Amino acid sequence: MTAKHGQVMKVEKTTMQVDLLIIGGGPAGLAAAIYAARAKINMVLLETKLPGGQLLDSYAIENYPGFESISGNDLAERMAAQAKKLGAVMERFSKIVSIHLEDGGKTVETKKIICKPRTVIICTGASPKKLPLENEPKFSGKGIHYCAVCDGIMYEGGVVGVVGGGNAALEDALYLTKFASKVIMIRRYDYFKGEKMMLDQVLSHPKIEVMYNSDLIDVEGDEFVSRALIKDTKTGDRKTIELNAVFGYIGTEPKTDLFKDYLRLTPDGYIMTDDLMQTNIQGVYAAGDVRKQPYRQITTAVADGTIAALTAEKYLQHHNV
Amino acid sequence: MNVTVYTTADCNMCKAAKEYLSANNIEFTEKDVSKSRIFATEMVRITGQRALPVIDIDGKFIIGYDQDKLEEALGL
Repeated sequence: MTAKHGQVMKVEKTTMQVDLLIIGGGPAGLAAAIYAARAKINMVLLETKLPGGQLLDSYAIENYPGFESISGNDLAERMAAQAKKLGAVMERFSKIVSIHLEDGGKTVETKKIICKPRTVIICTGASPKKLPLENEPKFSGKGIHYCAVCDGIMYEGGVVGVVGGGNAALEDALYLTKFASKVIMIRRYDYFKGEKMMLDQVLSHPKIEVMYNSDLIDVEGDEFVSRALIKDTKTGDRKTIELNAVFGYIGTEPKTDLFKDYLRLTPDGYIMTDDLMQTNIQGVYAAGDVRKQPYRQITTAVADGTIAALTAEKYLQHHNV
Repeated sequence: MNVTVYTTADCNMCKAAKEYLSANNIEFTEKDVSKSRIFATEMVRITGQRALPVIDIDGKFIIGYDQDKLEEALGL
């Protein structure tokens, strides 16, 4: 039934009883879907945006085994296609409006469906942390950005700053050289945490300048950003540099708001699990960047999704009614 | 209803917006800012900012992929 413009139509919701609900279609969710499909588990995966999650922010992935270099888009499409071919059911654009999780029963309601799964794997991932600048709200989208593949194009010929010290910062600094005339890495410490191979590329790139021991204090400008205030972390000296934008890669925040009334979370909001991805609720698991763990890579997300699916399968076998 | 989406090739949220509109049978015009400086300038002029995607629904602008705002603007 099609709604006419301006007319609100009440849609009858479909009720789904499934053995497994996977929430989130990033690499953890897609790996779980592949294993669940191969185990012939009656399942559905909910994804509100695009299958791939944070994979899609990577222009060139060079540390995923089996691929010397592959774009995040391509890797995501391959994973999703494999899951679909195996029979995984994906429900797109169906945002969760309410959730109820307990040992004895689980209900997840979206705008279109009421799902009553016997098990749930939460793979909602994380989103970028905002830069802690006083002018962040004023210049968000107007010189402060968090996605180089989305917004880098708008700074063709310009000077852009990159804040952060890990792989995401290094990777996107290299990506931004496609457009910018100069990329300035604004790094708080005198070292980077990212992969040495990528760091070597950054340090030898003619368009990239690195400012070590430098803290981005704020950005300024009229309608758009035109300068950045930098503080030397060793001397305390401050200076202003001219640039057109800063891209922030200072870490991520887990997407766990929906679950905070049910699941045990760390103070930072990550879901706590055991080695088998089991949360504090029987039959509810968490996998990938959303859960507490020391490292967050595509490979670890895929491993988590695998373990969660296998653990869910065992649970279903032991609780067969 | 007139819907225009400002996009660029590598932008994953731009792709999400287009797929969302297609999944709901909403026709739209795509303006790829990487293919035309005119589109880029136009987008900045009418929205006052540089983040992509921008979805223009009869003059109402949604910046970034936001399903709740899209549903409200589209009457879904």
